[in-house]
Amino acid sequence: MKKLSIILLFVLMLSLVGQTVTFSQVLPKVPRNETLIVDALHGRLANPKDFNFWKPGVSVGNGAQQMLFDGLWYLDPQTRKVINALAESEPVYENNFKKMTVKLRKGIYWSDGKPFTADDVVFTVDYLMKHPGMSYSDAFNRYVSKVYKKDNYTVVFELKESIPAFHYLFTSIVYSTCYIMPKHVFEKVEDPLKFEFNPPVSLGPYVLKQYDPQGYWWLFERRADWRRTSVGQLYGMPQPKHVLFIYYGPDEKKVMAQAQHQLDLIFDLTPESWEILRKSNPYSRIWYKDFPWAWMDDVRARIMAMNLEKPPFNNKDVRWALTLAVDIVDVVTSGFDGIARVNPLWICATESLLKEYYLPLESWLKDYALEDGFKPWDPTVPDRVVDYAKKRGYTVTGNPREIFGIGWWKYAPDEAEKLLVKNGFKKVGGKWYLPDGTPWKITITAPANFEIHATRLAFAVADQWRKFGIDVNVETVEAGPFWNKWNLGDFEVGSYWQVPATDFYTFVQGYHSRFYKPTGEVATAGNQIRWKNAKLDKLLDDLVNLQPESPKAKAIVTDILKLYVEEMPAPVFIINLKFNSQDHYYWTNFPTSDNSYMAPVWWWGQFKFILPQIKPTGRK
Amino acid sequence: MNLLKRYIIPRLIQYFIVIFIGVTVVFLVPRFTPLDPVVTVLNRMTSYGAQYLDPSAIEKLKETMMELYGLKGSIWEQYLNFWKRLFKGDFGPSLSIFPTPVISIIANSLPWTAGLLVVVAILSWIIGNILGGIAGYYADRRWSKVMSIVAMSIYPIPYYIMALVLLILFAYIFPIFPMVGGYSIGLTPSFSLEFIFNVIKHAFLPALSLILIGIGWWFLSMRSLTSTIVAEDFVTYAEVMGIPSRKILFQYVMRNGLLPQITNLALQIGGIFSGSLITETVFSYPGLGQLLYMAINNGDFNLIMGIAVLSIIGIATSALLIDLLYPLFDPRVRYR
Repeated sequence: MKKLSIILLFVLMLSLVGQTVTFSQVLPKVPRNETLIVDALHGRLANPKDFNFWKPGVSVGNGAQQMLFDGLWYLDPQTRKVINALAESEPVYENNFKKMTVKLRKGIYWSDGKPFTADDVVFTVDYLMKHPGMSYSDAFNRYVSKVYKKDNYTVVFELKESIPAFHYLFTSIVYSTCYIMPKHVFEKVEDPLKFEFNPPVSLGPYVLKQYDPQGYWWLFERRADWRRTSVGQLYGMPQPKHVLFIYYGPDEKKVMAQAQHQLDLIFDLTPESWEILRKSNPYSRIWYKDFPWAWMDDVRARIMAMNLEKPPFNNKDVRWALTLAVDIVDVVTSGFDGIARVNPLWICATESLLKEYYLPLESWLKDYALEDGFKPWDPTVPDRVVDYAKKRGYTVTGNPREIFGIGWWKYAPDEAEKLLVKNGFKKVGGKWYLPDGTPWKITITAPANFEIHATRLAFAVADQWRKFGIDVNVETVEAGPFWNKWNLGDFEVGSYWQVPATDFYTFVQGYHSRFYKPTGEVATAGNQIRWKNAKLDKLLDDLVNLQPESPKAKAIVTDILKLYVEEMPAPVFIINLKFNSQDHYYWTNFPTSDNSYMAPVWWWGQFKFILPQIKPTGRK
Repeated sequence: MNLLKRYIIPRLIQYFIVIFIGVTVVFLVPRFTPLDPVVTVLNRMTSYGAQYLDPSAIEKLKETMMELYGLKGSIWEQYLNFWKRLFKGDFGPSLSIFPTPVISIIANSLPWTAGLLVVVAILSWIIGNILGGIAGYYADRRWSKVMSIVAMSIYPIPYYIMALVLLILFAYIFPIFPMVGGYSIGLTPSFSLEFIFNVIKHAFLPALSLILIGIGWWFLSMRSLTSTIVAEDFVTYAEVMGIPSRKILFQYVMRNGLLPQITNLALQIGGIFSGSLITETVFSYPGLGQLLYMAINNGDFNLIMGIAVLSIIGIATSALLIDLLYPLFDPRVRYR
């Protein structure tokens, strides 16, 4: 009897403790149906109170850049449309791209009531130039000779040299950009490297209401004067009164939270976690309603990066042989259960770029032949993936070429063998030997405990190459050493994801040989695969003198893509996947495949423009 | 005077040598790993921003950051600067969230780690040792065997699984406890009853998970110690003398069994400064463990050193205290 009483008392205590938190544990003081809850990209932040975006190393993807900051232009990767935010129109270049004039949007105010004017833009550039160590300081010092206002809403940049893409410094192409500083706040700051910009004065449609000093969550409240922001002027009122960015922890917890309708938007899940969530919450959805569900228009794609300074990867035939030794459908189905869009070119196969670059290149790809006349293009890949999906009992709605890509390289082990034998390799007893007679061993470096798709790709490709007769080992490495190995060239083959998308123009500049760094030195400018090519240099020299949007620039980009195929410095496999799940229980009309008005990137600065377009469901 | 010369002073010298060697090793190890904090920050900037920075501007930025981070001089110069700063209680700025001082980052997380882990360590030590002592002394009783089976079943469960099961049970299926953080959103930290109760509620599941595993270990080790002691002559003699068994258990058997357990407890409490990574990750509970993990991944030398130095000092100090206090627990030491 005594024991029973103790147990009952314990149960009673538990229920009392739980009473106040059940079903309202996340937001005890804020109405749930007026709040959008978003997964915080960077996880827990060690210094959650620092909003000085312009300091290097400050993470702003946990809500600050989406809610508080604003920039001149945004480029949406899904639609390829430019959003003129703080700028009223696109920039006007003069004097052979040595002068850029920007007209600013009128009627925009900071959250403390001060008007946003040309003074803020001029101040931002001047101030950063005067403070070395701040982000963009070196870039502005390198390019800008003078910046001044023509009137309160017109800014003129005089540049030291012809720079047709100078406006890209103020355009959020991928994730972020140089946001504009409030002059009236920063002009009083002596050492910006020590300044935390807290409380932040906002130019975006929200203000910071509260944050967790331990770095797990940030709560933002819609500005009463949201009409006086670029978002308000362009798209209307952001629907949620509050937006909470929160880090729940590992995937298991995010799944539990969304299944309880306590997390509306998730950054990314593993396929297994998504499978559980899909079955436990009928309101959860990603991009496609049916198979393959995932969003596959991200701005990076997965490669098997080869260090081209290390033999035998310095040989083009070897790189092509390794590409043709891979059955991509097998990789996609065994490694990703068919949830993948193949990405053969050195540009991401996104919805917009498929139309812009892939389809125009399709006939060239069909006719392209290696030196011995072998035509490697295989357009049957999407149909074969659909066949697999059907066998698994999945429904595929839509055009397979748009979903799974327009094709990849043939699985041709015989041709791969020919290429290797031509270069002195030998196959004895089903195993390959290098020209010097030693067994051919490859180590693939892959991420451990993060970027799970890269790890999976590494294992799937390793299987293919083993089947072909090469001794392959996969080493998985934690994030810190993984990136250091990448920059120092301390890898033979690495499962990385360095493929450009809408940022092609800027991305490829670092591949010019004047920025080349040998293995052992840090390749800060990109080109960690150490690719050096005179033809590429020539194309880049031409490209840098053209405006990125010009037809001539696009023609050069196409030529670079063709050169990449010819040289095959690192085979590109699939576009990055995102299982960025949305819960349609409290809010709906998020971007999806049947309503692809914008990229579903909750972690980018562009997210602010999605907020007026979502709708409350009315559920309490 | 003799005690001071022969017992206390050698131990104090040993204490300072341990700290000096430990701190030196902690300074050197990250620098010999392939981690470069500047490159890590640049990576983060380019991979998240792909900002349109000319490659030469990135190179210049790298130089500037090396200068700012104090990584430009030789290792010897950096080492001397490190000791100079350390004597002033300054670990320098964090390199991954530059220039936030390491000490303020640690100070923000330390109370949560200390609050949780000290309470957990003491509670599980007390409960585990008492139960283990009783079970060891009355080893033939049925309830003692049941308790041993339960402890042996709980202790080997991988901690991550145990934590996750508790979380699924009490935060998802029966949403009694919260899933994230140290306290609820909307509350302001204060000494009000509401806040204190809220903090306890948030700490309940992380603490329970650690206590369950902790009790298992203390129970099994104490039970094993006790079952050895009960076979010793002085216990048999006490029984023959007709001393009540409760007195034999608590004053003869457990008192002897506790000696190694006290040392272990002190070392465990000294080691809390490195946090409890899995607990913090599973329960999204604030603490030093995740900080240390982030610091290692980002090559944040100063933050790694800050946490590690605290941990070294914590363990060395605990060991020293135990050494100094041991004569109180064990009279045999006094007579040596």
